[in-house]
Amino acid sequence: MGYHDTKGLPPPSRWSVRKAGEAMTLNRIRTASCAALLGLLMVSPVLGSEGAGGETTLFTGDLGNIIWSLLTFAAVLFVLGKFAWGPILRALQKREDFIRNSLEQAKQDRDQAEARLKEYSDKLQAAQNEGTAIVQEARRDAEVVKRRIEEDAKGEADAIIERAKREIGIATDTAVKELYSLTAKLSTDVAARIIRKELDPAQHERLIAESIEELRVLEGKRNGKG
Amino acid sequence: MERVLLAAASPLDHVYQWTYQKIPVGTGDNIVTPGGQITLFSNHIIMQIIAVILLVLLIPRFVRIRESGDKVKDLTPGGFGNFIESICAYFRDTVARPLLQEHTDRFIPYIWTAFFYILIVNLLGLLPLEPLTRGLVKSIYPDAHHGIGGSATGNIWVTGTLAASTLLMIVVNGFRYNGLGYVKHFFQGPILIAPLIAVLEVIGVAAKCFALTVRLFANMVAGHVLLAVLMSFISLSYLALGAGAATGIGILVVLVSVAFNLLEIFVAFLQAFIFTFLTTLFIAQAVVIHHDHDDAHAEEQGERAAGAH
Repeated sequence: MGYHDTKGLPPPSRWSVRKAGEAMTLNRIRTASCAALLGLLMVSPVLGSEGAGGETTLFTGDLGNIIWSLLTFAAVLFVLGKFAWGPILRALQKREDFIRNSLEQAKQDRDQAEARLKEYSDKLQAAQNEGTAIVQEARRDAEVVKRRIEEDAKGEADAIIERAKREIGIATDTAVKELYSLTAKLSTDVAARIIRKELDPAQHERLIAESIEELRVLEGKRNGKG
Repeated sequence: MERVLLAAASPLDHVYQWTYQKIPVGTGDNIVTPGGQITLFSNHIIMQIIAVILLVLLIPRFVRIRESGDKVKDLTPGGFGNFIESICAYFRDTVARPLLQEHTDRFIPYIWTAFFYILIVNLLGLLPLEPLTRGLVKSIYPDAHHGIGGSATGNIWVTGTLAASTLLMIVVNGFRYNGLGYVKHFFQGPILIAPLIAVLEVIGVAAKCFALTVRLFANMVAGHVLLAVLMSFISLSYLALGAGAATGIGILVVLVSVAFNLLEIFVAFLQAFIFTFLTTLFIAQAVVIHHDHDDAHAEEQGERAAGAH
């Protein structure tokens, strides 16, 4: 075999030549040993029969061997089938199932965990977004409220000032009108009194003093009212 | 010269079957019952019985699955049981499943049994039991030539029986799972040459089993003969060259035969594996038939096989 293989090899390099040589030597040894063995096999029955005094050969045997072989093999098959192979097979199947189930379970768990992680991170993101939105909205609202309050306050202040100004104006007008009318009345009164009591200077003096006194009382009343 | 030969004995002495007791079965003188007798006990038969006892006693002990209730612990074998279980798992997952597919667990007990049976018988054959048991055997059978020992798988009747058992498994299961499809798958090619091919196929199946027989037998015999030849060099050299040369050669021979014994251990495993692997392959070829003929069942099977790949 080795000989033909090496012979069939294309361009022999030095290496392959040496290898081929080795293979040939090996082959020769093999052939020689095979021949020697064959020779022994052929001679030995003779030797064997000389030694044993019977016809024992390499192929000695009969139905007894067949029966015993079948019996022993069947016994092993039966007993081990019952007490060894069954348990081993079950254990192997169980382990197979266990490994398969464990892997499937692990995959399922991982998928689930991944899904849950995604869900949670989504939720977290949403919550963050919501929080930011809420804060921004609140800030906007606060701004609006602040501005409204400011505007309201300003408006109210303006109104108050306006009203005060109006009231002051009205009061001033009233006072002026009253002053006018009083002055007119007083003047008329004074004129009438003057006309009535012209002659007596003493009376005249008194009248004037009375009038002034009267005026002062009026003025005092008015001040007390104002 | 005669003394030399006697001293060296025959290198085949160790591989012969030495009959201890025969019983008449009342048939004529033919090849299976020479002289109308069959062997009741011989060194090989007793080795087979020892193998059975060892297997039956040891393997169930080691592989007993602990029912501790602990889910993880029950599924993790330890110790020697682990060794056996890994071999079993290897055969199941790597050897049988690619070939037998969904039929794997149906045939795996047979496959495991074949492997361990052959392995133990092979290994027992390596033990030097013969000189130790010679006295015992002679006390029971005074005419006995040899003690207990030798490989029963170095007996062509034993390997033949094992191979015949494989053949039976092939044919029976071929019919069981494929019915007439099994017969049909022998007939291939154009209609004219199909019968011729069928004949060849049938011869092929028989030849496969014959090859199984011879392969195991020859391998076991060869190793033992080689060792015996090596050993015989010592006595031969003593007779031919004297004590000095014999000592030197003896040391060399012992060293070499240690190496060959290690090789034989390997061969014991290897041949057990090869026999089992081929048995699995042949059964699978009969059981899992998938080629394209218009048989609906086969097509379905082919699809299933294609799905499995």
